[in-house]
Order: sequence, then structure tokens, then C-alpha cells
Amino acid sequence: MLMQKAWSPYVAGIFIGLLQIPAFLLIETALGASSSYVTIGGLVASWIDPSILKIDYVARHVAATAKNWWQVALVIGIAVGAFASMKLSGATRQPISPIWQRALGTASPAKRYALAFGAGFIMLVGARIADGCTSGHGLSGVAQLAVGSTVAVAAMFAGGIGAAMLLLRRI
Amino acid sequence: MSLTLAIAVGLVMGIAFGFALEKSRVFEPGIIVGQMQLRNFIMLKVFLTAVATGAVVLAVLNGFGYVKLQPKAALYAADIIGGLILGVGIALAGACPGTTLAQVGVGYRDALFTLLGGIAGAVAFSYAQPALSTSFLGQGGGRLIFTDLIGIPYWVGALLLAAALVAILVALEKWKPWRDEMGGDVDGNLPQGHSSSGSKMFAQPAE
Repeated sequence: MLMQKAWSPYVAGIFIGLLQIPAFLLIETALGASSSYVTIGGLVASWIDPSILKIDYVARHVAATAKNWWQVALVIGIAVGAFASMKLSGATRQPISPIWQRALGTASPAKRYALAFGAGFIMLVGARIADGCTSGHGLSGVAQLAVGSTVAVAAMFAGGIGAAMLLLRRI
Repeated sequence: MSLTLAIAVGLVMGIAFGFALEKSRVFEPGIIVGQMQLRNFIMLKVFLTAVATGAVVLAVLNGFGYVKLQPKAALYAADIIGGLILGVGIALAGACPGTTLAQVGVGYRDALFTLLGGIAGAVAFSYAQPALSTSFLGQGGGRLIFTDLIGIPYWVGALLLAAALVAILVALEKWKPWRDEMGGDVDGNLPQGHSSSGSKMFAQPAE
């Protein structure tokens, strides 16, 4: 099973959902990912501009608390786990997914890198305005029947579908 | 819990999370963009299964009093505007904040730019946050959950949600079997013009 290239989405989904057990029992929080960008970004920015730590929001996110740094470790672990899974299955990836040439109508890596940077930027601005992403609002918020999270997830899909239909070519 | 232990727990959980994201293929740009173009439903299948599982888990843990729920506050303007912006970013990145790291792990080079852009976006938001929090984006209700609004126990609502999601997933799988949505290189890169008719997918000329 560890060496398969793909699991059923249902098996993988159950596996991911079960991760709420250690999150709630050990860390007293729900699965999430986007806060860690503030923790890392705030820390790095403070080396250049120490006054950013005077912003309470940043101070709260870089503080040496279990929740803040648990989530940073979680997202680093995601990269390690994905790498290990790929190595075990023997899959190899090109530097850029072949779908981008079709979606963007260009094979230029520079254009893709520029778009990826801009997309990452607005992704996190949006996630921080909404106070959560696909993990925090999506996986965790909807499972907790949170009203705001359900609204945020609906908006996320609306924005995503609109942009993918209007700004990208059909893949 | 000590900081060191929390970090160790986070690493182990993250490795498991990344492993499952990679095996499910949901981290692939082809799967995520395909979902947003309503032509590939692997992302919805993984997402709804994980939500249903989480709901059952929390129904039990919260129902028996082992854990408190941690719902986020309902800030409707922020949820809608932030959600829309986030969605646009997800479509153009072909990733979400968590799966960006899975893409970095498997060696997608553009994901490094998504990651750097994301960190820059988080810093930019941080500078604007004090102003934004006192604007209309900071307005809203408390930590509302649907079952409190209708006055039933959380665990009942969570199990009902899980049951409804299972019914939706059964229908979704019948309509679009997951094996037909993977593509030859398990990256969601399907022949163009592929429709939901499953078994015919390789009969059509690619590109």
C-alpha cells in the first residue's frame, strides 16, 4: 500500500480526517495550514523590520506557543511526507506540471513562476482575511458545523471556479 | 504540552498528512485546476470524505466530552471576501496553502514560488491587519455552529452531516469513478475533451 502510486480518494480522505484525533486531543486545536505562513513570514520580516512584532496579530502568531509551532512543523512534515510517498511509489515529476502549458497557453517557466508567486500572494491574503484556508475552514470548520467556515468554503469554491473558468484555458 | 513535543507531534502528523495528500493525488495542479473547471472531482471526493470522517470523529470525541470544539468566529464579510480571493489564488496556484508544501516535496519548482508568494502575502496582510480588523471585515457574530442555531446536540448534527456526505459521495463515485479521473501519470492530466463517460477516455485522441 505504501508503494502504490495512488490511493482511492476515500481511503486517503478517511486517513486525513482521522488526523483530527491527535490535533484535538494533543494540541487542542483543529487541522489548519495558513496560520503558519504568518508565523514564518512574521519571523523572517522581523529580521528586517523588528517593529512588525509590535503588531499584536504578528506577535500572537510568532509567539513560542505549542499551537503556532505545531502548525509550522505540520506543514514542513507535509513536504517530507509527500516526498517520502513519492519515493516509495517510484513516481517522478517534471519541474512544472504539464497541465500548465495547456492552462496558460505558454511553456515559459518564467511566466509560470511569476504567476505562481502572484497566486501564492493572493491565496494567503485571502486566507488571512477569511481567517482560514481549505484545511482550517474546509476540513475542520465544516466538520464542526461552523457557520462562518461553511460560508467561507462556499466563497472559496465560487472564487476558484470563476477564476479557473475565466482566467485559465480548459485543461 | 512543551514546545518541543508539540513540534515533534506536528512533524509526525504532517508526514502522515503529506503522505495521504500525495497518495490521493489531490495536491496535483491538474487535479485542483480540473476540480475548479468542474471536469475532475478527485478534490471534492477527498475533501468531503475527510470532512465526513472528521465529523464522525468529533461527534464521538465531543459527544463523550473528551474535547471542546474549536469553531472559528463567523465574520461574514471577511469569510466571503477572503474566501473569494483565496479561491482565485487556489485556481491560479493550482494549490492551496497546505498542498503547496506537498508540491514542494515532490519537486514541483513553481511551488517554491507559490510558497514564497504565500509568505509575502501573509506579511503584507499582517501590516494591513490592524486597519482591516477595525473595518467592516472585523464585524460579525461569535463562534456560531449550525446545531446551536437549531437547538440540537452537536453530535447529532455531525452524524447527520456525515450521513449526507456519504450519500453524496456514493452518487459522485457512480457518476465519475475515481480511477477514470487520475490520468496516465496520476496527475489529473487527462486527454482533452474527456467527458464523464469513464471507460471511453482512452478512445479519444489526446490533445
